[in-house]
Amino acid sequence: MIDSGSIKQLAGHPIDRRDFLKVLGWSGAAVALSGCGNTSVEDGKETVVSYVEANDYMIPGVGVYYNSTCAQCDAGCSINGRVREGRVLKLEGNPDSGINKGKMCGLGQAGVQDHYNPDRVREPLLRNGAKGETITWEKAYALIAEKLNGVKGEEIAFLSGGVSGHLKVLLGNYLDSIGSKNHFVYEALSPAGVRAANLKSYGVALPRYRLDKAKVVLSFGADFLGSWISPMHFSQQYAQFRKGADGQRGVLIQVESKMSLTGANADRWLVVKPGTEGVLALGIIHALGTASGEIAELVKAYDRVTVSKATGVSVSQIDKIAALLKLRSPSLVLAGSAVEGYAHGAQNAIAINLLNHVLGNVGKTIEAPVAVPFPQLAPSVGNTASLKALNDGLAAGRYKVMFSYATNPVFTAPGAFKFKDSMAKAGFKVAFAHYLDETALQADLVLPLDSALEDWGTQIPEYLADGMQLNIQQPLMEKLHANTRSMGDILLALVKQRRVEDYKGFEDYYAYLRSSLLQNKGALGAGGSDDDNFWNEALTKGILKIASSAAMLSDRAAASGLQLPKAEEVDAKFPMHFIPGVTASMRDGRHANQPWLQESPDPLTTIVWDSWVEIHPKKAFELGIAEGDIVEVTSKTGSIKAQAYLFSGIHPEAVSVPLGRGHEALGRYAKGFGVNPFGILDAVYDKETGELAMHETRVSIKKTGARVLIVKDEGAAGGLQMGRKIAVSKTTDQVDLSEEV
Amino acid sequence: MYRFLRLPILLVGLFLAVGSYADTQPALTTEDSLGPEVQQPIEFPHNRHTALRNPSDPANSDPLKGGMEIDCQYCHTYARRSAVAGIPPLQKCIGCHQSIESVRNKPRIVELFKYWDAKKPVPWKKVNDLPDFVRFNHERHIKRFVEQQNRPTQEACGYCHGDVKKMTVARRQKTLSMGWCASCHEKQHPVVAAGGTPVGNQAYWYGFQKPSEKPGAEVKAQGPNDCWQCHK
Repeated sequence: MIDSGSIKQLAGHPIDRRDFLKVLGWSGAAVALSGCGNTSVEDGKETVVSYVEANDYMIPGVGVYYNSTCAQCDAGCSINGRVREGRVLKLEGNPDSGINKGKMCGLGQAGVQDHYNPDRVREPLLRNGAKGETITWEKAYALIAEKLNGVKGEEIAFLSGGVSGHLKVLLGNYLDSIGSKNHFVYEALSPAGVRAANLKSYGVALPRYRLDKAKVVLSFGADFLGSWISPMHFSQQYAQFRKGADGQRGVLIQVESKMSLTGANADRWLVVKPGTEGVLALGIIHALGTASGEIAELVKAYDRVTVSKATGVSVSQIDKIAALLKLRSPSLVLAGSAVEGYAHGAQNAIAINLLNHVLGNVGKTIEAPVAVPFPQLAPSVGNTASLKALNDGLAAGRYKVMFSYATNPVFTAPGAFKFKDSMAKAGFKVAFAHYLDETALQADLVLPLDSALEDWGTQIPEYLADGMQLNIQQPLMEKLHANTRSMGDILLALVKQRRVEDYKGFEDYYAYLRSSLLQNKGALGAGGSDDDNFWNEALTKGILKIASSAAMLSDRAAASGLQLPKAEEVDAKFPMHFIPGVTASMRDGRHANQPWLQESPDPLTTIVWDSWVEIHPKKAFELGIAEGDIVEVTSKTGSIKAQAYLFSGIHPEAVSVPLGRGHEALGRYAKGFGVNPFGILDAVYDKETGELAMHETRVSIKKTGARVLIVKDEGAAGGLQMGRKIAVSKTTDQVDLSEEV
Repeated sequence: MYRFLRLPILLVGLFLAVGSYADTQPALTTEDSLGPEVQQPIEFPHNRHTALRNPSDPANSDPLKGGMEIDCQYCHTYARRSAVAGIPPLQKCIGCHQSIESVRNKPRIVELFKYWDAKKPVPWKKVNDLPDFVRFNHERHIKRFVEQQNRPTQEACGYCHGDVKKMTVARRQKTLSMGWCASCHEKQHPVVAAGGTPVGNQAYWYGFQKPSEKPGAEVKAQGPNDCWQCHK
């Protein structure tokens, strides 16, 4: 074997290409000589397990396919899983779904790694000092009942991620039974600011965006191809948009301070000073010159020169955009997650939405969403304001019992919250968890959950792309671990503790689900059909499509009261804007323990398995930073150290670190890889909505002196093969991406 | 100086690593190509199930205990439908044996019913195994020899699995090595036989080998010889 000494020698003296090829050749020969033979033949040793009873369709070696719903994000894509010999092997999109239409993203593909993950919690664990002690489910349930005994409803807090469908109903009933109204729905990365702005601009939180109908898409920081709202749906609309309706290929202009995947696909990418997206939008309205009345009054002060100065976008670019928008109609203007991260985030988004009114897009490319006919099943969508409320309550010692489900606030709360300390003040903390993540580690009782591929459920996505649909989630295979439970089963058991009469008819969550759906089959569009037929068809299709009316869309522009801040003073101590990067695969980091996601290169930087600090080459040159330098990024709240990556797709006065990595727990593929930028976020809020302003943190950066080789697919790592040029190349500091197209 | 050292160290390491792994592997085959004798949880008598009813068959030493003449595919029903032959579900055994009272109290059958009552599969040991980089397809061989060429199932299965009429617990009969597979794929096999499904030109794409066409002679073709037919 290679001993560690020789490895160190090798590490100290990098192998060059010649040596590498020599080793490759020799080791190939070595394998050919000594490894020849049937080294994987296991006859007489391996056990072949047959079925006890097999259905006709179960043939070893031949796949069976089941429809279910993806649980990797909230978009609600329908999936189709290939199951062979009782094991789920591969997920694909379900073509019947109006949301993803048979397609699926990388994050969804990694769902099988969530299921087979070796770090899943397998037994109920009760805290005993610093350790978790395995206990039985009966004891766990009894313990919860005991701890809730004599506790008033207002002293109980239930924190969850976004929930919908029958789980939401059951959760609501349980909270009702214990007299608690404190359900905090928290999503670290939710479009809450955009929702609030849209409510004012269009009268609905999320209208249906029709990229496919638009001839120009002007997107302000909406990464709709990567991670924004329903990326699989938008990607397909985008393909239509690019094809064009009458031979006219759609033009995408992306305005943002840090290039996203969508920005990289745009025809024109414009870098804008962080936080001034709204100003630019008003400047474009001014340049269009078609607005009247209130809006004309509002944009009067936003002439091209002033706007250009404030945003850093040149006058000619503003003119070009205005000319293009005039030339091609309908267009679509999107206010995405990058614009809402400021103290004036909602105002920013409202200003951008005004453009759609001025351009007459409302009703054309901004359509009314469908109304969910069963409000009790409609999704409770998360935001960050709820986390603040919970954190304040916890810090004040208001809660004796706290439940946590499908969210990991100890990891995702801004460092300024000191959430871990607040949480410690709750008397008894229960975490329903798939993994021992940072939050579960702080809990007193951890209850292990079935994976999404083992569980029953119903789901209604927030963004109903193509009519009302109720998504069915069903097990694709038997449970891997005997002692995990479905969240539905747990809630049913808990609610039975209080209301045994109401729920005694339901043996388990499956029975509850089946009977609730059958009771409403008339409303679900299957009035006359036989119960079993209806149920089997629902499971076969994995989707219940339901007739529904459209919600009302308001076409009255919301210009009154719109106020955008003047340019602010630069804090000499923390001069740079900090942009937490949202990547399509990592998002808020809940899936960081799925190695496929860690090893798939970031689409823009090609970096794997680690965090990086994106910094503009000009700024890097100013500060004497080269690629691979370990830099320290310090905010008022804290600091992180990571490798610098020189990236022309970022505003020179901003740095960005991707979210999702830097776990201290969660599992072997997540723990210790990269740094967690959530930890240095200041607690700044959107003045209007109270949402966390994620982009308002200011930082300073400093070289630490250490340098590493960045592990990435792009270019030649280590530089030994450098100098081999395929195309004419330019150094990155000479590239101005806005001039490239 | 290290520059001289590191390459040999790496190579020696590689040899040792690969060599020590290979050493622990059992010998490929015994002299007569038989695989190892495998202890099964239940000693399943293949001869009892498959041998001919005819008492004069030399496979039956006791004429009163003749075979049942059951077709291989009755139990190994997956072979014609899938790449893998699979092991019959326990249900299949019980399906017959629940109505065969005469052997109900025999030790092996009692054992079988214990598994059935517990609804647990019998942990059979694998007898014929191929390396993970080889994909053998049962279905195609059954189609080729049983359906197209109308050969008896036992003969077609026996090309690889030997004469199960003479076995109790199955044992690997052939080397199942690449050379052995190729030795059969090199031969000219008749494409159509009386009573078989005529295939015509299909044999050409089926085997990627053009059938030999001598007027009046039997149409024959070789098995596929592309690497990726098995290594994919």
